[in-house]
Amino acid sequence: MRTTARLVTSAAALALVLTACSGGSEDSGGGDGGSGDQTIKVAYQKTDAFFQLDELLVKSKAEFEEANPGWTVQLEPIAAQETDYFTKLALMNGSPDTAPDVIYEDTFQVRPDAAAGFLAPMDDYLAEWEDWAQFPEGIRAAGLGDDGSTYGVSMGTDTRGVYYNKEIFAQAGLPEDWQPETWDDLLEAARTVKAEVPDVIPMNVYASKAQGEGTSMQGFEMLLYGTDDTLYDADAGKWIVGSQGFEDTLTFLQTLQDEELMPGLEDALDTNLPNRVSTELLPEGRLAIAVDGSWMPGGWMSGDNAWPEWEETMGMTAMPTQNGQEPGATSMSGGWLLSIGANADDPEMAFNFIANTLNEENSFKFATENSQIAARDDVAANPDYVSFNPSFEFFSSLVPVTNFRPATPDYAQISNNIQVAAESVITGQATPEQAAETYDQAITRVVGDENVSEAS
Amino acid sequence: MATLALPGRDHRDPGRSPGSRRVVQSLLRTSPLIPAVVLLLLFLAGPIVYSLYGSLTNASLTGPKAAQPDFVGFDNYAQLIDNPQFWKSLVLTLVFVIASALIGQNLLGMALALLMKAAHGPMRAVVSTIVVVSWVLPEIVAAFALYAFFASDGTLNIMLGWFGVEGSAWLIVLPMLAVILANVWRGTAFSMMVYSAALNDVPPEITEAAQIDGASGWQRFSRITVPMIRRSISTNLMLTTLQTLGVFTLIWVMTGGGPGVESSTLPVLAYQEAFKFSQVGYGTAIATVTLVLGGLFAIVYIKALKPEVD
Amino acid sequence: MTAMTPEAPDVLAATDGRPTATREARQRRNGALASPRQRNSKVAASLILVVIGVAFVIPLGWIVLAAFDSAATVSVKLPTSVTLNNFTEIMNWETTFRPLWNSLIISMGTAIITVLCSVLAAYPLSRYQMRWRKPFMYTVLFGTCLPITAMMVPVYALFVAFGLLDNLGGTVLFLAATALPMAIWMTKNFMDSIPVALEEAAWVDGASAMTALWRIVVPLMRPGIAVVFIFVFTQAWGNFFVPFVLLFSETSQPAAVAIFGFFGTYGTISYGRLAAFSILYSVPVLALYLLVQRLSGSSFAMAGAVKG
Repeated sequence: MRTTARLVTSAAALALVLTACSGGSEDSGGGDGGSGDQTIKVAYQKTDAFFQLDELLVKSKAEFEEANPGWTVQLEPIAAQETDYFTKLALMNGSPDTAPDVIYEDTFQVRPDAAAGFLAPMDDYLAEWEDWAQFPEGIRAAGLGDDGSTYGVSMGTDTRGVYYNKEIFAQAGLPEDWQPETWDDLLEAARTVKAEVPDVIPMNVYASKAQGEGTSMQGFEMLLYGTDDTLYDADAGKWIVGSQGFEDTLTFLQTLQDEELMPGLEDALDTNLPNRVSTELLPEGRLAIAVDGSWMPGGWMSGDNAWPEWEETMGMTAMPTQNGQEPGATSMSGGWLLSIGANADDPEMAFNFIANTLNEENSFKFATENSQIAARDDVAANPDYVSFNPSFEFFSSLVPVTNFRPATPDYAQISNNIQVAAESVITGQATPEQAAETYDQAITRVVGDENVSEAS
Repeated sequence: MATLALPGRDHRDPGRSPGSRRVVQSLLRTSPLIPAVVLLLLFLAGPIVYSLYGSLTNASLTGPKAAQPDFVGFDNYAQLIDNPQFWKSLVLTLVFVIASALIGQNLLGMALALLMKAAHGPMRAVVSTIVVVSWVLPEIVAAFALYAFFASDGTLNIMLGWFGVEGSAWLIVLPMLAVILANVWRGTAFSMMVYSAALNDVPPEITEAAQIDGASGWQRFSRITVPMIRRSISTNLMLTTLQTLGVFTLIWVMTGGGPGVESSTLPVLAYQEAFKFSQVGYGTAIATVTLVLGGLFAIVYIKALKPEVD
Repeated sequence: MTAMTPEAPDVLAATDGRPTATREARQRRNGALASPRQRNSKVAASLILVVIGVAFVIPLGWIVLAAFDSAATVSVKLPTSVTLNNFTEIMNWETTFRPLWNSLIISMGTAIITVLCSVLAAYPLSRYQMRWRKPFMYTVLFGTCLPITAMMVPVYALFVAFGLLDNLGGTVLFLAATALPMAIWMTKNFMDSIPVALEEAAWVDGASAMTALWRIVVPLMRPGIAVVFIFVFTQAWGNFFVPFVLLFSETSQPAAVAIFGFFGTYGTISYGRLAAFSILYSVPVLALYLLVQRLSGSSFAMAGAVKG
């Protein structure tokens, strides 16, 4: 009879016990009152093309644990491409138990994540952090939430431009010092490459959902912000629908696709394309022109995919505007930050870890190794920084013409619809006109009728 | 739980003890069901209830709606009905289920089972093992293998090249065909095994007698064998249908639901809307539709088959 | 013919409630009847089988060839140089053994809980007449049909509410619950085939129902339980979507999720390593499949003996 009871109860209780046990051991904070074993959990992205942050955090972890006995920094690298990284991060943030204490955040995620209650305001800690003075106003703004509090410290910023392979250009009879002034110049060069060096992909512009924000920023917006239109009217607080620029941008993508000037669809729809551009397609001389970000040389200077010849091989030029209109060139800037999770057991210690990670020495390390436009004035002014990488000068020169993404909580959803529009055009599922119309309807649904306005 | 420690002696004597004892007794007898029922309620009924409820909110993965979702009634469903992408996805789901499960897996599975009966022993063992291995493999491994098969530099195109046929980027040009064939590849073993077992249960005397009476092979199959294994056929149709309705990994790895939404079945669309585009409420509504679809299939099956539950 | 009697036919045979007893005898008879015409059709059938077999083996071939190729690509080809490097490079705790260990914990946990719960549940369902038994079994059958593992969106939301995210135990319980309807169904059918007479003898000796279950019924249906166990284990081992959405930290990820990271993170560089990992990940379930073939043989034997 006892067997009966034991078996029944134990099987029923097994469920609860299992839950309880593992619940405890997986607990992220670990700060259960005892001062002996406190943990800071850090969530960030790591891939074979983006290893510099991992190296930085490993270094900072050692320093921090040395300086704060009893504290452990638990690094949680998320090995995923950018879109999957965002998904994973959002899933982790969904529950206080699994939310990280320190989060590597893209600028455009700060506002929505702050509004969602995932991030903790840092104002009190920043006020006492003497290094904060090194961060200029424009850089600080990247961490602002809708409520005016600061939710992140910038790790650096970036610009975007046009890379081209000089060796391929020489074969195609194109100038070594190439300076396209309009979109047509870009297309002409691509056509020439296609005709003269047929084995090479003439040009890459990201244009599918698979590359996520890369498609919006390195691809679509680099084009759109060179037209007379824009995405968002910041003064009126309205999203713009029915703009000619939007349609023209899609038409440009369609031209690339129709004339086979861009990677085949299988590559264009590959999540891994950004990695492959930097680790394979450019180094192996299989791609002539790439619209991409300023961080790319970071992966060529060291690491598994080091490519010392890049300095002689790659040329860089500014992204032209559509018809050469003022200011003659355009660029987009974003950047990433370190933020404190709203559920951090000890936000102050989490901040201290961030402060250590972004002190002058570590910021210098990250800015040089990952080809960042330095966030801190002291790093930017350091002669060793300027001379570290020959591309810095060029990409810094784009700052005067650069643009920022609309800083609104709903940008992420707008961006998704941009990607849908771009992909539907390059896959031939919609004409630029249809895709633009779908976009207009979709964003109106997202933000509401009152928050959109017709382009003038 | 304490009462469970006292299973009365009469416990072992079903149906004879009178009055209130009978209630206690039936409770005691029921008690071994408790762990299973608890698990089913929490983790099977739980998601279903949550799915119905969540689909009525505008919950989001990030932004203000993540902190404070509103109850929006049937807005998500209204949006779905308005959205041509949803209807396309629904059609793709039905195409996927009908083509790969009802037609592909079942017919090929039956053909294999019949061939197995007729073929040489060693051949039978080797081929059946190969077919079953593709079924036993973890689904993600199977998905990679088929991705590599259909990719434009992949095996299929290389083989076509031997015959002078120029290949294509199958995953882009014909994504649905690729995932349908992939699901046939992966799932046929199950049907084959079910039908092999069923065919073995058909007494050979009957078909032999029919043969002596001059019935052709096809007649013997369609008039005698099929009616005799009818139950196995319908059970199998149902299990493969529902298995296929839930396929996510295979499609996600091979095509990501693309290009565009050309191969986004409902599970893929739900994932995309909820976890990529942050619209959890909307994605949950799609999941609910998938659930209802599964439920409809199940009801049709149970009604048609009237499985004996005793 | 042993290769043709893996788990599913047993399951279904059991579902139909009529286990096959005299199969082997029939096969022997079939084999003896071979006229010349039948021999021709036998050759034709074998040829068609070869063609289908080749079609099935080609996608598998890529995994094997790529795993031993020092320069594997997405294309199937004979290795330019045969190497074990793809294996040796991934033979470490973080890349391979920890994910496999996690898969083992998840699959074992799921299979143990599922089997325990379904044996317990099957007993009253199989042995007692109860008014609500029929509706209960129909509900279970209905549950078998629902594509729960495909609707991870509400499951994720539910796990947020339960506070069970990134929790191996929670994932195990969910997988167990989704496997339960099928497992209860199978276990009950196996149990139905065990005569009550044996237990009644035990009852006379004063044993309780539970004692009878564990001392008499369970030992008799051990092969059936093993089939259920392996069935559930294999499903949990191969599941990707559930741990992909519910588990986050690298330290608790099973092989199914770890392999996806391979593909997404290292680009085209490491098809060889991906294939090598795939093999290491697949071998355990392939081995279990061989095991189940042997077990199902004996389960038929048992069914036959009982039916007398």
